Amino acid sequence: MRRLFLILAALLLAAGCSIAGGDAKGRTTVTFRLWDEQVAKAYQQSFAAFEKAHPDIGVQVQVVPWADYWTKLPADVAAGTAADIFWTNTSNFGLYADNGQLLPVEFTGDWTTSVVDLYTRNGKLWGVPQLWDSIALYYNKDLVPDPPTLTWDPAAPDDALRATLRKLTVDSAGRHPGQSGFDPQKTRVYGFNAAFDLQAILWDFVGSNGGTWQSGDTFDFADRPKTVQAVQYVVDLINAEHVAPPAADTNTNGDKALQLFTQGRMALFQSGPYHLKSIQEAAGFQWGVAPLPNGPAGRVGVVHGVAAVASAKTRHRDATVEVLKWIGSADGQRPIAEGGYAFPGVTTAQPVFVDYWKKQGVDLQPFLDSAGGTTFPAPLGPRVGAGQTAYTPILQQVFLGRLGVAEGLRKAQDAGNEAMKG
Amino acid sequence: MPSADAAPAPARASRRAGGRRPRASARSGTVGGSRRADTLAGYAFLAPSLVGVGGFLLLPVGIVAGISLFRWDLVSPARWTGPSNYQSILTDPAFGRSLAVTAFFVLLVIPLQTALGLAAALLLDQRLPGSTWFRAILVLPWISAPLALGVVWRWLFDPSDGAINQLLGHRVEWLTSPTLALPSVAAVTVWTNVGYVALFFLAGLAGIPPQYAEAARIDGAGPWQRLRRITLPLLRPTTFFVLATGVISSFQVFDTVYAMTRGGPAGRTEVVAYAIYREAFVDFRMGRAAAMSVVLFLLLITVTIAQQSWFRRRTTYEMG
Repeated sequence: MRRLFLILAALLLAAGCSIAGGDAKGRTTVTFRLWDEQVAKAYQQSFAAFEKAHPDIGVQVQVVPWADYWTKLPADVAAGTAADIFWTNTSNFGLYADNGQLLPVEFTGDWTTSVVDLYTRNGKLWGVPQLWDSIALYYNKDLVPDPPTLTWDPAAPDDALRATLRKLTVDSAGRHPGQSGFDPQKTRVYGFNAAFDLQAILWDFVGSNGGTWQSGDTFDFADRPKTVQAVQYVVDLINAEHVAPPAADTNTNGDKALQLFTQGRMALFQSGPYHLKSIQEAAGFQWGVAPLPNGPAGRVGVVHGVAAVASAKTRHRDATVEVLKWIGSADGQRPIAEGGYAFPGVTTAQPVFVDYWKKQGVDLQPFLDSAGGTTFPAPLGPRVGAGQTAYTPILQQVFLGRLGVAEGLRKAQDAGNEAMKG
Repeated sequence: MPSADAAPAPARASRRAGGRRPRASARSGTVGGSRRADTLAGYAFLAPSLVGVGGFLLLPVGIVAGISLFRWDLVSPARWTGPSNYQSILTDPAFGRSLAVTAFFVLLVIPLQTALGLAAALLLDQRLPGSTWFRAILVLPWISAPLALGVVWRWLFDPSDGAINQLLGHRVEWLTSPTLALPSVAAVTVWTNVGYVALFFLAGLAGIPPQYAEAARIDGAGPWQRLRRITLPLLRPTTFFVLATGVISSFQVFDTVYAMTRGGPAGRTEVVAYAIYREAFVDFRMGRAAAMSVVLFLLLITVTIAQQSWFRRRTTYEMG
């Protein structure tokens, strides 16, 4: 407890350092917080241009890693030391909006409609769209020369996806799953990143099978045959087919699959554009992006958007709104697109991003198709974050094979809905 | 003479006391005045640590006790709920489970780290060549940051690429198996603490006059008898200290669990301190977290008082 207290005290102190309102040049300082250190580089460039046009305002960028982001934010909001502007996702912003902690956005811009919809609540827009993600399939061209177009069907005894993944998975003796003597403990290359990853794997398979996850704000996935079937399919890829790394490796290390892919030890990696830069920096091989596997209900992927919200407790409201307007403009988002960091929330900045990756030899069309096709709704509701926290350990047990899929989903749904009651 | 002597004193004193009611109260005024000054001086000397204890210990304890009567998620306004947080945690099987996990953790860690620490101290006390170096090496884990150690051990325990499984040549899921996770965390804790425990036993051993062992040897006592009948009884004050602080710190273990398992798999390593952290900063139920802290606080006081009274009957502090 003593150490816990010290950690807290240190956090509060660190946060306290950011509340001072001015800098040495006598400018008003507006603080901006986000979790992605890659995109932070783009914002630095963007704010350099902003400060030239507004000599009286300085913008300070703070990066808080994803792992601590949602722990630190409420503590800072309670202590009155939150940043003036901060990034949020759909799971978490509702709570702040409903409690009067955010300034409503009272100007408009040329923003991606789907992201605007995600952040509209009680008739008001609460966040300025910054970037959006859809899901597609990264593939290693050394292992998979042609862009794979795969189909899957959990009702069939075997399907193209499972057959392909068995071929791509190899143990240290060169054997494949299903061949006699294949040793899953000595897998050299995995076919796929089936894992407990809601956004990139689970919801997409559930959606492509015609299943549901939420009804309104309530979790509604247990006893839904299509949902149960899709989750069983994903869990079987790990524990029965052995074409994906064991959940013991991926449950506690969210970057495990990314590492295996960039090390050349995974052939297909289903994920979002948020990993483009990491793969570009770490992969020592040619790679590309292919469409999602086509399921019984088609290709259905999650589209999620990140928005910047302004704290209602800001001490310099006018300067904060100026900065917010800037990062909602095409000029303000250009560095994000030009540097290839993310699909910008401003639609006119989008072609610049696609061009960047075309020059790198990567065609982003599958992400655009995924966003333009049938999509699976991102989690919504003021307390959905608490619900997800409650069901995560239970679903992790399901992926480890320690809890049956139907039983696990039932328990997870009960725990999640209970936690959302508050 | 005596009357002449006595006269001026009340006069001086009565001036100090403001001239009212000369004799008796004046006398006590003299005494009381210097006592008050002494008291003031005493508090002045205490002030720096009083500010520390008051501001950083008593005040937070009071705030925690206060928060435990509210329902608060840090973002929405706090709501008064009275003792309902206590009712809810005391009937929550998850809180009971975390207490059981903690008790099991303490039972694993304390006997092992005390026995190993004592053994290490006895060996180091032989003053073999290089024992100074060993003493330093043994304490290294204790002075390192537990969070960093936990992260390194998580890598070592990694099921696919970890050094331990590579050495074994066999896949063991140390941190995700329901049976192995808690013993693995306990083993790392023991490894961290052994050097620290050994240091205290070494100091205790140095305080035992050599005549006792010598006399016993002359009387024909073997090494085992000398250890059991002389060394161990005379080490009781040290043993008490090591056990009392060890039990308290094991009940409060947090960083190692945070770094290695985050309470998983399925709560099998969710010790009380981690449960409090999860309740507060993952689930954002500050009231319940505060109520759990208060329960842990009362529990630790009880355990410490029990330990103290048990040792008081059996401990000799005099060795003269």
